[in-house]
Amino acid sequence: MIVLAIARDLLAEARSRRWVLAFLGGATLLLAAVAFGLRFEVVDGALAATRLFGGDLKSDVRSVDVALRPLFVATSYLVFYCGLVFGVVATADFAPALLAPGRIEPLLALPVRRWQVLAGTFLGVEALVLAAALYGGAGVALLLWLKTGVANAGPLVAAASAAVAFAPIYAAMLTAALGVRSAALSGGAGLLLLVAGVVAGNRAAVAELFQPGASRSVFLGVTSLLPRLSALAKVAAAASESRPVPGGPLLALVAGTLAFALAVLALGVDRFERRDF
Amino acid sequence: MLALRARGLAKTYSGAFGRGAHQALRGVDLDVSEGAAFGLIGPNGAGKTTFVKAILGLVRPSAGEATLLGGDPGDPRRRARVGYLPERLQFAPALDARSVLRSVARLKRLHRPEAAVAQRLDELGLAGAASRRVGTLSKGMRQRLGLACALLGSPDLLVLDEPTDGLDPLARVEVRNLLARELARGATLFLNSHLLSETERVCTRIGILAAGRIVREGALESLREGSSRWAVRFDGGALPVPLAAAGFAEGERPGCFTFEGEPPALNAALDRARAAGALLVELTREAKDLEVVLRDAIGASP
Repeated sequence: MIVLAIARDLLAEARSRRWVLAFLGGATLLLAAVAFGLRFEVVDGALAATRLFGGDLKSDVRSVDVALRPLFVATSYLVFYCGLVFGVVATADFAPALLAPGRIEPLLALPVRRWQVLAGTFLGVEALVLAAALYGGAGVALLLWLKTGVANAGPLVAAASAAVAFAPIYAAMLTAALGVRSAALSGGAGLLLLVAGVVAGNRAAVAELFQPGASRSVFLGVTSLLPRLSALAKVAAAASESRPVPGGPLLALVAGTLAFALAVLALGVDRFERRDF
Repeated sequence: MLALRARGLAKTYSGAFGRGAHQALRGVDLDVSEGAAFGLIGPNGAGKTTFVKAILGLVRPSAGEATLLGGDPGDPRRRARVGYLPERLQFAPALDARSVLRSVARLKRLHRPEAAVAQRLDELGLAGAASRRVGTLSKGMRQRLGLACALLGSPDLLVLDEPTDGLDPLARVEVRNLLARELARGATLFLNSHLLSETERVCTRIGILAAGRIVREGALESLREGSSRWAVRFDGGALPVPLAAAGFAEGERPGCFTFEGEPPALNAALDRARAAGALLVELTREAKDLEVVLRDAIGASP
C-alpha cells in the first residue's frame, strides 16, 4: 500500500528529528518531575472525608474516585489540549518540507498518485499525534494511579479524542501549506481551527453574546459548519468522571469531525492535483 | 518505439492575478527513441527544466501533448519505469542515506529492495556513508545519492537533470561509466545539462532548446559537421614565409596551420601557397564542438 508506505516514511522522518525527540523527552521529564516532586497523595484509603470541630464541611463523606473527579477532569482537558497544541507545533513544517522544491518532484515522479502522497502524509501525522497523545495520556494515568491508587482511563480517552480532533486541524494545515508553503502559515491555520472548534463546541452559549437577529444567525450558520472540537474534550472529561456518554451523539460528533476533515482534505487534494511543481 | 514524444508542447506560467505571464515552452515537437542517449542543451531560461517536468507530468502543459514510454505521463505504471534526478535535489535531512533509498525502493515496489539498495550504494560509492544522515553528506555525495535513487530498479528511461553537478572530475568519470553501462543494458537516457563537454561524451543525439522552441535536433555527428575551419599541415622543411599572407594562421606545432573559410577560398589559398613552394601534407575539416553548435543554433534562431 503506497499510502501506508508514505505514512511510514513520515514516521521514520519524525523519529529521526531531534526536536521531536526532544519534545517527547521534555514531556517525559515533566511527568517524572511531577511524579517525584509533587506532594500529592490520598491518605485515607477508599473513603475521604473532612470534618472540622466535629461538623461536616461543604462535602460529605465520599469515595476517593468521586473526590478526585475534578482532578481527573482537569487532567483530561490538559491531555486533550496539550496533545492538540503539540500536534500543531510538532507537525507544522512536515507538509512545507515535503513540498520543498527538489524534494517533491522526485517523489511525484515515482509510481505514486498525488492523492496518495497527501493521504499518506495525513495518516502519518495522525499516527504520530495519536502516539504522542497516548504516550502523554498513559503517563498521566499512570502517575495518578500511583499517587492516588485510583485507576482512571480519562487521560487515555482524552488522548484518543485529541487524535480525532486533530484530523480536521491537520487537514486544514495541509491544505494551507499547499496554498503557501510556510510552516508558520500551516501552524497558524491549525491553531485558528482549534480556536474556532472550541467556539463551535460552545456555540449555543457564545451565541447569547450576539444580538438576536442577523448577527446571531450568521454566527450560528458559520459555526454550524465547523467541527465541535471542545465537545470532544467534554466527552473525555465525562469519561474521566465515569459519566455515561450516549452512543448516538458521540458517534455523530466523531463522524461530523471526520467528515469535516475529509472535506478539507478533498479541497487540498483538488488543489494538489492541479498544481505545477 | 519511442521513449518520449512531445507534440506542440507549450507551457505558460501565469503571474500573480493573471499578470506577467511567461511562456516557458512554445510548441515543442520532439521524439526520443528507446535506447537512445539524448542530450537537451540550451541557454539558461530556455525551458529545459520545464520540458523535463512536462514530460514527467510534474507540470501540466498549456497546450500540446506528451507521451512517456508510449503512455500518459500521469500513469504510475509508466513512471515505475522511469528514473528521475531533478536539478535541485533535496532529501529529508534527518534520514540516513540507506533509509532514503529504502523508501524509494518501497515506492517503486521493487521485488528485492534490500539487494537493489545495497547494489546502488556500492556502485555510487556510498556504502561507507549509508548510515550517515543526509544533512551531513557533502553536495557531491547527495548528488550520488540522487543518482542512486534514480537508478534503483534499473528503469527503462533515465531522465537526469545536471547529473554531474557538484561531482569532482573522478566522480564524473565514474558516473559516465555508470551511464554507459545503463545504456549498454538497453536503457534510454535523457540528459539535461549545462556541461556541454559531458553531454558530448555521453549523448549521441542532441536537441537544442532556445526560447521555448527546439531550434536544432539530430545526431551529434551531423550537428558537428559543416565547420568552415580547416587544419592544414605543410612539409615543415620547406616552408615559405608568405603563408600568413595567403590566409593561414600558424598552429601550435611546426608546419601546422588553420584556415577559416569555405572550400573555394581554401583552394585559392592553397594554390597561392603551393605556387610559393609550400608542400601540402595533410588537410582536415575540423568538427564543431558542441559549444559552437549551440552558439550557431541560437544565433540563427528567430
